[in-house]
Amino acid sequence: MHMRVYGAAALAGLSALVLSACGGSTGTATSTTAATTAKAAATTAAAPATTGAPVRDAAVDLVIWCDQDRKPIIDKYAAAFGAEQGIKVAVQVSTDVRKDFKDATNAGKGPDVIVGAHDWLGELVQNQAVKPVNLSPTDQAKFPAEAMAAAKFNGQVYGVPYAVENIGIVRNTALAPDAPKTFEEMVTKGTQLVKDGKATNAVLLTVSKTGDAYHSYPFLKAFGGGVFAQKPNGDYDPTKVIVGSPESILGGEQLAKLGKDGILSTNVDGGIVDQVFDAGKAPYAMTGPWAVEKAKKAGISYAISPLPTIAGKQMTPFLGVQMFYVSAKAKNDAFAQEFVTKYVTRKDLQIDMYNIGKRPPALTEAYTEVAAKDADIKAWFEAGKGALPMPNIPAMNSVWGPLGQATADIIAQKATAADRLKAAQTEIEANIVKAG
Amino acid sequence: MTKSPWIVVKWVAIAAVLALLVWIAGKFAAAGSLWAVVGVAFIAMCVLAIYGTTRAVPLKYLFPGLFFLVALQIWPIIFTIATSFTNYGDGHMGTKEESVKYLIAQSVREVEGAPRYAMSVAVPTGADVTTGTITLLLTDPKDGATYAGTPDGLAPITDGVEKSPTGKVTKANGFTILNAREVNARSEDLSALAVPTEGGGIKTSGLSEAFVGKASMQYDAAADRMIDTTTGKRYLPQNALWVPEDGQGQSLTSGWQENVGLRNYTEALTNETLRNGFLKILVWNLIFPLVSVISTFLLGMGFALLFNDDRIKAKGAWRSLLILPYALPGFVTALVWRQMFNQDPNFGLINKTFGWSIDWLGDPTWAKVAILITNLWLGFPYMFLICTGALQSVPGDVKEAAKIDGASGFRTIRSIVMPLVLVAVGPLLVASYAFNFNNFALIYLLTNGGPFEGNQTQVGSTDLLITYAFRLAIGGTTPNFGFAAAISMFIFIIVALISLQGFRSTASLEDVN
Repeated sequence: MHMRVYGAAALAGLSALVLSACGGSTGTATSTTAATTAKAAATTAAAPATTGAPVRDAAVDLVIWCDQDRKPIIDKYAAAFGAEQGIKVAVQVSTDVRKDFKDATNAGKGPDVIVGAHDWLGELVQNQAVKPVNLSPTDQAKFPAEAMAAAKFNGQVYGVPYAVENIGIVRNTALAPDAPKTFEEMVTKGTQLVKDGKATNAVLLTVSKTGDAYHSYPFLKAFGGGVFAQKPNGDYDPTKVIVGSPESILGGEQLAKLGKDGILSTNVDGGIVDQVFDAGKAPYAMTGPWAVEKAKKAGISYAISPLPTIAGKQMTPFLGVQMFYVSAKAKNDAFAQEFVTKYVTRKDLQIDMYNIGKRPPALTEAYTEVAAKDADIKAWFEAGKGALPMPNIPAMNSVWGPLGQATADIIAQKATAADRLKAAQTEIEANIVKAG
Repeated sequence: MTKSPWIVVKWVAIAAVLALLVWIAGKFAAAGSLWAVVGVAFIAMCVLAIYGTTRAVPLKYLFPGLFFLVALQIWPIIFTIATSFTNYGDGHMGTKEESVKYLIAQSVREVEGAPRYAMSVAVPTGADVTTGTITLLLTDPKDGATYAGTPDGLAPITDGVEKSPTGKVTKANGFTILNAREVNARSEDLSALAVPTEGGGIKTSGLSEAFVGKASMQYDAAADRMIDTTTGKRYLPQNALWVPEDGQGQSLTSGWQENVGLRNYTEALTNETLRNGFLKILVWNLIFPLVSVISTFLLGMGFALLFNDDRIKAKGAWRSLLILPYALPGFVTALVWRQMFNQDPNFGLINKTFGWSIDWLGDPTWAKVAILITNLWLGFPYMFLICTGALQSVPGDVKEAAKIDGASGFRTIRSIVMPLVLVAVGPLLVASYAFNFNNFALIYLLTNGGPFEGNQTQVGSTDLLITYAFRLAIGGTTPNFGFAAAISMFIFIIVALISLQGFRSTASLEDVN
């Protein structure tokens, strides 16, 4: 009896948690690539025990799965598409599209189209869940090369992007009026503000006890390190992990120094970053578009700028791309392909999607129009310039945990950067071999 | 034996159950699962034999229970055992044939510089739109020439051709053009179709476009090899993956599911990290529920004794207050405690209050303490409840007799009250132990198994076997359900042994009566 009651409470609780985490606002778990990957464990983990995947509506001609936030917009265009083709289109909400889609497709009950982040791609291909989208070369040219690169796997296009996202520096203009050029400048200014009692944290960065590879990556990348080496064609090479490379270690040493000086701390997790920044208690947060909406609501006057240099080297973030996929087992493949190639490439759809998620639209034409009137969007886009897409190869799943924990341990001074990153490299390589 | 109206009711009920089973069988038949249909038919026969006749009266009562025991307990166990002998997991979901088909389909690339045709889908006039041979009516965007494309190749058509402004053929003599819904209904045939042409095959994309594509992968069925025609590389099947024959480079993306025998078990026992981890986790997994049960029981019992004393006023109010932690959803409590355990006094209430700087969630020992404290808070109200209940059922005359015999208050509790209470709550303590043994939610929400020591992320300092298995199966790097199922079997055996021993011990408690 005790067990049942407790179990039921836990289940109810977990599902409520998942719902609140995913459906709450425009900037949470499922709606951001960053959060989806950085918190991959969290979202995928809570779901299986709790959320029921949507049940595919059998009576319609095209089924699309997306998250709660994007449903109204997709509904609008699905209706238009349905009217044009004389068919019925259903847009269904899934609280964990990635997992629900994989499981449902595996059981032959999946949707025809899903909306999701580009870094799911490798895993979905590995599990035979998605199929190429035959976007014509003319249509491909309407997107920035990086966005198209993110939608590709083995040189094949698997989705049509509608938004891009990346982290940058969000600063509280009341505390820090000027955009920082260097990380050192942020540290100096921030430390002064802490000393003056105007702030509790000099620089906010999501670390947490288990670490956060997504947010730590720019430190490694600044010195030429990163996760995987690239093949000549730009693809990431899963057989060449560079987490423990001398370049990555240089970045790791910066993390170690910042941890030692108390600038970065494993006591700061994603929730605390928002909490402190929204309380006006920190001048700088190294975060993404998902944090802006909350800061705005909290009445913080903010500005967005690109990541600065550290030790004279330019930091660049991961680029995330949001896109529409077509299921490999789509029952309505013709409609699915038609909708994704003809409708998602429309300017009006991309602009409407921007209005929901406040991310730069992927379609260049739509971006130009939005950037002209929304300074934030322009700033996010600028902050993402030169950024490489987050790896979408399945091997990346073997990286998040070990690299994240390594950065946490380095910041917590549990190990030296060199030792810890080399150990992480060994663990990642072993995981990749094990995964095949 | 029964009156006629009841016979009618009985047969109506039996007929309803049978109708339901027929409906379920129909669903399974449509899905093509033969064995499921056989199973349902067997159940239907059981229902008829047991409830239609008077031969098996005890079974009439036992059958529903047996049915659900099999469906909800036995079947998952069998399924887990079966899974533990496979490599089921990411990249190993389908069959080998599916992987071959998928890899070839995925390798179709648009031939560079080839035209993108405007396309309509048609069948020869007179043929059924749902089964007729599919013909693609194609318009070359450069010169507007129109063709009919079939598996035999391209043939120019001009007879009675009308085109839309986008170039799509809307009418042609000898062909019935399909509407969108009809085209979509034949998606599967369209995916299989490639109109042979120079440099590749013409494939459809959506409803009104076709492109020239070429598959770079081929399957050599005789040699059982996948061949990449662009590089000439050959891939052989090995460990349920397509591995390069020359040993250079990566295997192909998609593998298949197969039986791996005892490999998951041998790996769990021989892999050094896992083995050390397993032992470490097992020890903590035995200590955690034990300490939790003892601590919650002692605190709960203490409060129960206190508030069972008649000298306490407003007992009802106190009792309600004490039950509050139990009434709040456990997950909320766990998250609140996690926040309170933050090392930074700016965020963590505990360190702030006491002026400590304990790294509650980052130090392996303190993390264990933090979990035990949280579980004490979560669990003592339950113990308080059941102990209060048990105390109230201890007869007053027994205590009175002890008092008359000159026993002190403590002596009465130790020798008279406790044995009686333990008889009642003993089995619940065992149940509580078993529950905490698999207390996934608490660990997951509070520490997620961490902190992780020794430069690795597989084995956490506060991991229970269940959180560990979960990380292996779903939450970790690459989901491996087969391996996680093997770990689950170990957990199953351990819990079964502990429960067995536990219930034996509680049986001995009952001897005091």
